[in-house]
Amino acid sequence: MNILLCCAAGMSTSLLVSRMEKAAKEQGKDYTIWAVPGEQARKQIDKADVLLLGPQVRFMLNDMAELGKSKGVPVDVINTLHYGTADGAEVLKHAESMAEK
Amino acid sequence: MSNFTTLLERKVMPFAGKLAAQRHLQALRDGIILTMPLIIVGSVFLILANLPVPGYTDFMANIFGDEWATKLQYPVGVTFDIMALIAGFGVAYRLAEKYELDALTSGAISLAAFLLATPYQVSFIPSGESEAILVDGGIPLALTGSQGLFIALIIAMVSTEIYRFIVSKNLVIRMPDGVPPAVTKSFIALIPGFAVITTIWIARIVIEMTPFGDLHNLVFQVVGAPLSLVGGSLLGSLVAVFIMMFLWSAGIHGANIVGGIMAPIWYGAMDENRLAFQAGEELPNIFTQQFFEVFINLGGSGATLGLVLMMLFWAKSKQMKQLGKLAAGPAAFNINEPVIFGTPVVLNPMLIVPFILTPLTLVVTTYIGMSTGLVAKPAGIAVPWTMPPIISGYLATGGSISGSIMQIINISIGLIIYFGFFRLWDRQKFAEETTSSSKTSNKSHG
Repeated sequence: MNILLCCAAGMSTSLLVSRMEKAAKEQGKDYTIWAVPGEQARKQIDKADVLLLGPQVRFMLNDMAELGKSKGVPVDVINTLHYGTADGAEVLKHAESMAEK
Repeated sequence: MSNFTTLLERKVMPFAGKLAAQRHLQALRDGIILTMPLIIVGSVFLILANLPVPGYTDFMANIFGDEWATKLQYPVGVTFDIMALIAGFGVAYRLAEKYELDALTSGAISLAAFLLATPYQVSFIPSGESEAILVDGGIPLALTGSQGLFIALIIAMVSTEIYRFIVSKNLVIRMPDGVPPAVTKSFIALIPGFAVITTIWIARIVIEMTPFGDLHNLVFQVVGAPLSLVGGSLLGSLVAVFIMMFLWSAGIHGANIVGGIMAPIWYGAMDENRLAFQAGEELPNIFTQQFFEVFINLGGSGATLGLVLMMLFWAKSKQMKQLGKLAAGPAAFNINEPVIFGTPVVLNPMLIVPFILTPLTLVVTTYIGMSTGLVAKPAGIAVPWTMPPIISGYLATGGSISGSIMQIINISIGLIIYFGFFRLWDRQKFAEETTSSSKTSNKSHG
């Protein structure tokens, strides 16, 4: 599965990416997870199965969700607390549940 | 108190969302960022040419000759002095991208339009003369740097809007199928390019007949000077910081939004200081981009470094201790989303108070430090905003230890303001943890 994350500058999400990668590895899953700055998501959404937004850019949700709908990519905002505590396993679970729908 | 969070959720969020999604503001922000890598590179040379180390100047002169400092400044000029050219191109590019126009073409047209608005005259002092004369046929670097920033940004947006208008009316030359796309693109850009250049050309000719003389002067007098007056004042800066923090309180990247509006002002002020610093004159501005990045956002927006330190060393609750460990690394580089969302600070009436109050206080203390001359002003040196505090204060002030001391004072002020609020929150979390753990232990016994 390909999981794309985006926030303002792609910095704090990259911290979460490494946590998610670790969690995926522990669960024996071979996922591609990466983070980009806000507007970049528009261009990279095609490569993703799921797009997750950092809570600080949740104002982009409507726009991105619409774009995601047209491309068949589910889009959601990461839970604030999971984001703040960089809880890779929880965010991974969230991404998986989005992809299943 | 929950009314307050409801207000933030219902009123502030949608408004901020609209503001953040506004195309021109986005383009402005993303376009100006294009100048950043260049300016940081230039800043490295600026620091090297002015290292405040005793004996350094003589040492360098011995190795590289007396002209070494001048030669070190070559890269400084080329990076700072073309700020308007790069920013204008960047804004036109980003705006066109959002309209799904050919971004590269839009940037190129805007660049030409900017130069069309710029009088091709440079002042020149002939040898043996004392007064400068104006010579035609040169691009004045003074106007392609920070002085031309406002007009470059305006022209970038106007020219892209004209481009878009003409393409939307389908007034373009279309090539038949089979013509290579690159050729088609250049023909599509023909009429829009013609319209943009003609518009700016007419504007230039009209302005030349007025007392303003040229478009640069007009924009500076009408837009630049008043805006700089606002953005360069204590009150204006406090308002800007308050809005940023208020947006963050709702969990929205405030600096990202307000930064787009304030960037031209604060970058312009930065470059004015750079020019004065190079010339060895007194620095004219306190409020530059670096003032906020280096002295206010200590540990990230809201100056949360003090809060993180308290979590790390004084937290009673497991949650805060854990978060302190997680947040300390990023906080050293001024990244604080873990603190903001993990504590959480956002939508948390208890912690929003110090979160807004601390940066506002720091604006005032730093302003007092700098205006009284106790602390060196930012010297127009752009250190990356991820540079850890104490080092960044030293570098941004052109190598003054007073910059580092100011940062230490500011971090301490943050500690003091956050202290009481942190204790309350930590205790609450601690209480939650002990009750929930006793509940689970009851269960296991029962």
